[in-house]
Formats: sequence, structure tokens, C-alpha cells
Amino acid sequence: MKLSTINFYLDWPVSIELKHLREFIITNLEKKGDVIRWSIVDIQNSIDSFGTKKLKIKAVLAH
Amino acid sequence: MEISPTIFIIPTGIGCEVGGFAGDALPTAKLLASASGCLVTHPNVMNGGTLSEKDKNIFYVEGYSLDRFAIGEIALKRVKQQKIGIIFDSAIESEILVRHLQVADACVSTLGINVHSYVVTKKPLNIMIDPDSSKMSGGTIENPDDLIDAGKCLIEKGVTAIAIVAKFPDDSDSSETNIYREGKGVDPISGVEAVISHLISKFLKVPCAHAPALKSIELNENLDPRAAAEEIGYTFLPSVLIGLSNAPNIVELPSKHELISLHPDQIESIVVPSGALGGEAVLAGIEKGLNIISVKNQNTLKVTNKFYDYPNLFEVNNYLEAAGIILAIKKGINLKSINRPLKKIQKISNND
Repeated sequence: MKLSTINFYLDWPVSIELKHLREFIITNLEKKGDVIRWSIVDIQNSIDSFGTKKLKIKAVLAH
Repeated sequence: MEISPTIFIIPTGIGCEVGGFAGDALPTAKLLASASGCLVTHPNVMNGGTLSEKDKNIFYVEGYSLDRFAIGEIALKRVKQQKIGIIFDSAIESEILVRHLQVADACVSTLGINVHSYVVTKKPLNIMIDPDSSKMSGGTIENPDDLIDAGKCLIEKGVTAIAIVAKFPDDSDSSETNIYREGKGVDPISGVEAVISHLISKFLKVPCAHAPALKSIELNENLDPRAAAEEIGYTFLPSVLIGLSNAPNIVELPSKHELISLHPDQIESIVVPSGALGGEAVLAGIEKGLNIISVKNQNTLKVTNKFYDYPNLFEVNNYLEAAGIILAIKKGINLKSINRPLKKIQKISNND
């Protein structure tokens, strides 16, 4: 097993409710590896007219 | 006894003014445990190098397991005593290893803790600290499989909780370390410490915590009191062994056979620093509609409720106020009844 740290940017569309945000992030992170540690470290509001927010996630993944 | 089970989080490595140093949130944890009657918190809050304390109202749970508890994947079971094993990184110099072994012996002889045995990893763990740890400290280890294999070896010998001691690079003169010791900036090594303990929690599912092995460093007369607990001994292992000595067992859910002391559905509130709402436990709490008590506690992150607009969030100025909120929740007192001005009750439409 090898570990890597990534800074991962993810668009959070308005269609994803807050109560589903964790699951949404995990689903996207798991495409990149086995998740050891993660956290949202920054959010930018409304990057488009649809109200999409941009998340910056720092994660440690195992491969 | 009336309780309001509460999770208390101070994320590791984000430079929190309270809790970003060496066990300097422990008094706060005791306050919140007293208010709630039942507090679940993690080693970063409780470990003060040589100093720590047990509290019957506090469950000591490693961060990865704490997240799983918040999600609802595990429950906690009180134990009177854990049988602790220690994993030592094979990169630790022999003199420093002996210091740690003497700490373990001292905890057996003086505190009555059951430290059963230790194992040395086959290969050095090789800590790699992120060069950009200014906002959130991080990093990885080169040989995670050796760490996990060492843990398996202890468990096969009957150990029920694991302390890990990894050799960290000697950077005592680095600007990050000096800034941290003087009460500013981010603890540069805590992010990797979290990764090490998360690996044991994830793959071995036992209580665990980590202490770094570092060489003694030069006296610093400008030392911040919050970092002082890490300067009064040769190792940081005592607080880890004290915390693990009766840390709760992890019970995988659903469970029909294990007695459970605290089920995740019992949790009513999560206390977290303002700006640090982007962690898994907080988002899991939001999923469940729990009270989130966001406390002003200066740190490097800005993930606040302005991005979430979560209705059950209380923004407070300090942990004394947070304790008051928890007491009100515990006693079933409407918080609006305490604040002024007090609005009249609303009339709602009866047309539906």
C-alpha cells in the first residue's frame, strides 16, 4: 500500500442538498483511492449562475 | 443521571487558538464533559505530552473511529481496562527507545495501567511531512503496511489497544517548530500523526493513539504556556497510555451480542471550532439534524455556516458559552427563553 496527499477540487451543485454532501464527497474521493483522512479546507460561493459552490478538499488516500 | 451526549472536536493541525497545542483543550473538555455528562472526544484534545487526566464522563476515541461513530457505523463500549501494546518505529534511536520503554514501565508501576508488550516495525515508517503545512498540517508515511503488520502482531498476542510511537525528522530548529513553540502557527507534525493513528483504526479497528519520538530540543525561554506540556519530559507517551488505559471498545453496528455503553443515535450535539465545519463528523451530524455548536476559536480554516445555512447551528464566542448551551439542551430549556429580545409566539396558517 502507498499513501498520497491530494488537494481535490469538487463542484458542489445546488441539486446536492447539504444533508447529502458528505456522501457526495466520499463517492467522488473513493474514485481516486481508499480514503484515510479528508476534510473540506475551503469553499468558494457561487462560481456560476446556478449557485454551484467550489469545494477544496485535502485528503490522504491509500492505493 | 441526566446526560446530553456530545461530541467535542478540535481538528488536528489547523492552528486552533484553543486546542492547537499540547493538550491545551483538556480543561475545556472537562468543562464540556461536566456540562453534558457524556463527552466523546479524541486524542488531540486530551493528550498533553507528559500530562493528561482520566474523566469518567469522557470517551477517548481516535479521530477515524470518532468519525465512524458520528456516521453511525460503530458504537462504544466502556471497559475497566485495556491491554495496551506499543508499536515502535524501527527508525527510533536506541537511547530514545529506552526512554519510551521506561515510560511504559512507569505507567505500569505508578498508574496501574496494563501495558502488555511492544513490537518494533520491520522497516522504518519514514515520515514525510507536507512541505506546505501552513494552513493544515499533513503528510504521509512511506511504509504503512509495516505499521499495520506490527499492529496485527500485537492483536494476535491479546492486545486490545495500541499506542504508536513513530520517529519524526529532527527539525527542532525549523521555523515552523519555533513558531509553534511560541504559540503561533500550526503544529507541523500533527497531520501525519493523525494519518498514522487513522491507519490503525481503519484496518485494525481497535482503540489507538500516537506519540511522536523526537530528540530533546533546546530550551526556549519564550515558550508559550499552551505548548509547555511537551517540554517537560523525554517522551509524549504518558498521555497516550493514560488515554488508552480505559478507552472504550469499538463495537461494529449493527450488533446483537455486544453490550453498548453509548450508541451514536444518543448523540445530541457536536462542538467544533468556527471555520472547521468541513470535517466528516460535522457533516454526519448535519445529516442527522444534530445541534452544531460552532465556537469562535481562531484557526486557519474558513469553512463556516454561511456556506451551509444549517438551521440547528449555534455560533458562540467561547467554550463557556458552549457549556451553557449544552446545559440548556440537557435540561430541555428553550434557548430563545434565555435570550433577549423575546419574540411573541407565531400564528401559523390553518388552511391546508
